This record gives sequence, C-alpha cells and structure tokens, in this order.
Amino acid sequence: MLAYLRLVLICLVLFLALTENAEPANIVLGLLIGVLVALVVRPAPDLLSIRRLPLVLFNLARYTLWLAVDIIRNGIRVARIVLDPKLPIRPGILAIQSEMKSELGIALNAHAITVTPGEQVVEIGEDGVLYTHCLDVVASAESAEAAQRTRRRLMEGIFR
Amino acid sequence: MEATLDPVLQVIALLAIVVGSFFSLIGVLGFVRLPDVYTRLHAAGKVSVFGAALLALAAVAVGSLGLGKALVLIALLVIAGPAVSHALASAAYRTGVPMTNAMRDDLARRRGRSLPFAQPSDPSSDLPV
Repeated sequence: MLAYLRLVLICLVLFLALTENAEPANIVLGLLIGVLVALVVRPAPDLLSIRRLPLVLFNLARYTLWLAVDIIRNGIRVARIVLDPKLPIRPGILAIQSEMKSELGIALNAHAITVTPGEQVVEIGEDGVLYTHCLDVVASAESAEAAQRTRRRLMEGIFR
Repeated sequence: MEATLDPVLQVIALLAIVVGSFFSLIGVLGFVRLPDVYTRLHAAGKVSVFGAALLALAAVAVGSLGLGKALVLIALLVIAGPAVSHALASAAYRTGVPMTNAMRDDLARRRGRSLPFAQPSDPSSDLPV
C-alpha cells in the first residue's frame, strides 16, 4: 500500500512539474493519472525505506553529478574522434563485470555505461556481465575497470 | 524584451546554445562518417541527447520554458535515450549485423564462436581477439 502511495505521489509531482499548473482540478487529474500508473506498474514493496531516503537522495545526487562529468569528458573524446580526418576508431565488444546484486542495480549499471558517449551495452549475460561495445576498445579496456569500481561504489550507496 | 533580460542569463544561454548545437552537429556528423550500425548509434543516440539537454537549458534561461518542466524533459531524455540505443544495438547483434573492423569481441567468445562477422578489411592482428 505504501509503495502504491509513494508511486502516486511521484507521478503527481512529475505531472505538476510538466504542466506547471497547481489548480485543484489539475491536481485531481494528476492524482488520477498517478493511480492509473500505479495500477499498471504494480510497484514492488519496500524498495527503499523512508528513514534512508535523505541518504539515498544525497547519494543519488552525487552519482548524477559524477555521471554528468563522465558524460562531458567522454563526449569531448567522441567529438574529437568524429572530427578527426583520419577517424581513429578501434571498435570492439568488451566484457565488463557488473557485480551488482539486484536486477535494478545491473540495469542502472548498464544505463550508466550506455549513457556515456563511446560505450554502449549490447548484451547482458545471466551472470551480470555487461557486453559493452566501445568506439575505442583499447582505451576503454584500460580505463573500464577503474571506472566500473567508481560506478559500483556510488551505486551501492543508492541501493544499500 | 531583449533589454530586460539579465546579462548573466544571456551569457549562460549563449554558451548552452553554442555547446549544445556543437554536440548536435557532432552527432549528425558522426552518424554520416562512422562505418557501421554500432558505431553510428554512439553518435546518434547519445552525443545528440547531450546536445538536446543543453538546448533545453538555454530555453530555460532566455525562453518561456519552466525549469521544472525542462528538468523532467531532460531526465526523460537521459533515461530513454540509452534504452533505445541499447535495444537497437542488441537487435542488430542478434540478427548478425556485422561490425566493421572489429578488434575484439568478448561476446562472440563467450558464445563459443570465433569472430562471427565478415571482416571487410584486415583488422590489426596485434590485439587479442
């Protein structure tokens, strides 16, 4: 029940942010949409407890900031590759060990890798190995392990 | 109208527009120049999302787009963009679309096949495959 309530509230806030209109009629509409979404999605109970929420939000913000810096850094790298007349790509698929425990963790891990320009997850193995296509597989193979360690540390702050 | 705008906001908007347009351009250029599906998805799917997010920020600074709305839109872009390019890449791999000049394929090795793809030109062989 609490999980449903939480999802309805999140949907309401999203809806109000999108419509930028806090009239009672609009709030009611947002609530209705939230209930509809909750009925379709059926949220799993106990994804996170209220008491840990501030810490989780803080960790989420830190993770988002790190991701933004990573995206900008790699975006510049990819821009340089694309603008280079010789087009110096060394494409290939690299296996990255995720080591996240939950499915949600693996999914977030795959998202973090894919959202970075120059690396993108093609396939996820049953054992949580992320098969990642890289624009420059040699450079990515060197930096992948350290980057993955940072990612995992930041994400574990969110999930546990 | 122009004169009433805060100069700081104008500078922020200008920077965001220039950088955002630059990355959108890179996305298109990469899509044209890169050789195969997988590498093209890198350019089209993600560099462009970065550009679009910056353009949305510029619209907040000088346009009529609200900040909350822009943040929700950017969040949706950033969540949906990688999911789309992953789905396309995965589908391409499963249907056996070849990689051009692949240097290494850990996924093929796990599946117990040697490089499954036709290699149009000779890949440099000093790397482990």
